Amino acid sequence: MSRPQQVARPIVRSLQQSRSITVCPSRSIAARQFSTTANRKDEGTTVEQQPRASATQRLSDTLSGSHWTPEQLEKLTSHTMGSRRRRAAIATSSDIPFEQMPYQCFQEARKILNEDRQEKIAQIVAETEKIKHLEAADASTMRGGEPYKQKRLESLRKYVEELKILADINDPLVKRRFEDGMGDMNKPIYRYLADRKWRSMDYKITVQRINQFHIVPDVLPKFDPTMDVKLSFRGQPIAPGATLNSRVTEVAPTLKMQVFDAGTRLLSVVVLDADVPDLESDFFTRRCHYLATNIPWDPTKKQLPLRQIGTPTSQTGGDLAVPWLPPFAQKGSPYHRLAVFVLEHNANEKIDVTKLTERYDGSGRELFSLKGLRDKFKLKVAGFSIFRTEWDENTAAVMERHGILGADVEFKQQHFKSLKGPRKARGWEAKRQKPKYRSLWKYTKRLA
Amino acid sequence: MSFPFNLRGLASRLLNLSRPIQTTTAPSASRCLSTTSPLLNTPKGGKKPQSGGAASGKKRGKGKNAVVQDPKIVNLLQSLSTLSPRRIPPPLRMARNRHLRHWTIHRGWLMFRRKQRDERERTFMKQYQSMSAACEELRLTRGPGARPEGYLYRVAMEKKGVYGHHGVPIEYARAQTDTPAKVAWNHDWKR
Repeated sequence: MSRPQQVARPIVRSLQQSRSITVCPSRSIAARQFSTTANRKDEGTTVEQQPRASATQRLSDTLSGSHWTPEQLEKLTSHTMGSRRRRAAIATSSDIPFEQMPYQCFQEARKILNEDRQEKIAQIVAETEKIKHLEAADASTMRGGEPYKQKRLESLRKYVEELKILADINDPLVKRRFEDGMGDMNKPIYRYLADRKWRSMDYKITVQRINQFHIVPDVLPKFDPTMDVKLSFRGQPIAPGATLNSRVTEVAPTLKMQVFDAGTRLLSVVVLDADVPDLESDFFTRRCHYLATNIPWDPTKKQLPLRQIGTPTSQTGGDLAVPWLPPFAQKGSPYHRLAVFVLEHNANEKIDVTKLTERYDGSGRELFSLKGLRDKFKLKVAGFSIFRTEWDENTAAVMERHGILGADVEFKQQHFKSLKGPRKARGWEAKRQKPKYRSLWKYTKRLA
Repeated sequence: MSFPFNLRGLASRLLNLSRPIQTTTAPSASRCLSTTSPLLNTPKGGKKPQSGGAASGKKRGKGKNAVVQDPKIVNLLQSLSTLSPRRIPPPLRMARNRHLRHWTIHRGWLMFRRKQRDERERTFMKQYQSMSAACEELRLTRGPGARPEGYLYRVAMEKKGVYGHHGVPIEYARAQTDTPAKVAWNHDWKR
């Protein structure tokens, strides 16, 4: 058994050494090989001008999650707490960047990963050269002609994108930045990680909702979401498919949207009720509750407050075609599925809002067809979310406030009389009503 | 890094589930894990039963024989014993920086192995191709002396000693039969 001082001594020594290295900023930058982007601590050009982060700040960076109160962090970083070894480590290792931590195995691993990264970068350069060369070449000299050239270019570009992801995927700082939500969505690696995270759970839930609520085939013949859409009403995030109170849904929701492919595109947002009861045909029809279009969107954008679209103070841009109609379900009707669809415009072409308004606003809300909209304006359905609404204690008030008629209507199940005659009474008592069982009448007559 | 749900302790939880079954078989025993079989708890004076027979279950270790009589439960516990905390190591619990270092080392190790594997495969491929080229060269060579073209290749392809000394491939150990036929079904056959 060795005493704690003996154990801690080499660690402290190594920490002190590495500290003396980090004092010189130029050397610290030279020693930093693997990080792709600037370190969080020296995000600027030089290290010295940056104010030193406090110990609490540094520790809060290292501890994941935001469940630590400032008092707890203070306690964790205090120099009087913990073992001698821990105190010594905290006192002497003030400013070692994460990637310079003096752990041998860690450093060896970084060396291997760095080599691989350099290889990938060299490959990217080579492939880019190839692309340039091919672009400059005349297609008529190739055996496949122009289609061959285009196909080859496309596959080369795809390969370069793959290589860009592979070059950065082993970087612990990239992983950390992504987990903190600080990743720059313009870079392919963060988009890739976000896509992977979305597909690991949220996408599966969305697909499950599409199937179990029969959005396919009730609203669309087939549909696979490619972007992340989350709903929140009044700042509260909503689980997909939740049944909401009509007072909550009185104002339009905020969409939290994330696209995973590069570039700016134009989006349209449609909210439709897929379960409007239709008494004439004894069936259900659809109604458009909201329609906005020409919303510019790129991977760095996160939030889209639907009620701000079309107002002069709108931050996001876009045009409002059909304003928000609060979802309502009359008494006795089964729950209504309110589906939120996000559609992508074809080749970033703007849609004429007046055309949409005259087509879908007012009486055009009823008998709304998403498939019709999609086909008419050549849109691509990309994102989906859903909530449900039922008759509740606030529905009548909401309908009155927004001038919607029909709050007094109650749907009832239609009952059909049986064509068979009434059935004879059966059972032990019924059988013993006859005079034959006179002795049992005290048990069978005038019960209770 | 952590499992989606914790398998550790599943077996012990199931063991607890089987508690009511124990109490029904031995209503007097209030201890769930009694060290002695319920039959032994009879008041003194009575004769000690002879080893309990099949009903008392198997004795495990010294002094610890769980009274699980139902063979279904015994089977279930045996098959679930792989999920016991003894078999499954606990999930790695680390602070963030440490976990990131761990992750880096893990990725580095995977990368190292991949590099090694690729290198080996490349070597094998090169060797195979050079062998193939050498054989092709042999096939096109006119023999030593008056031997015809390809003689050296045929000699090189002989499998003498490959299947052991004077051995034959194991496929030839089968008794040679008429069936299965070379043509599986004769469609033109007419009586």
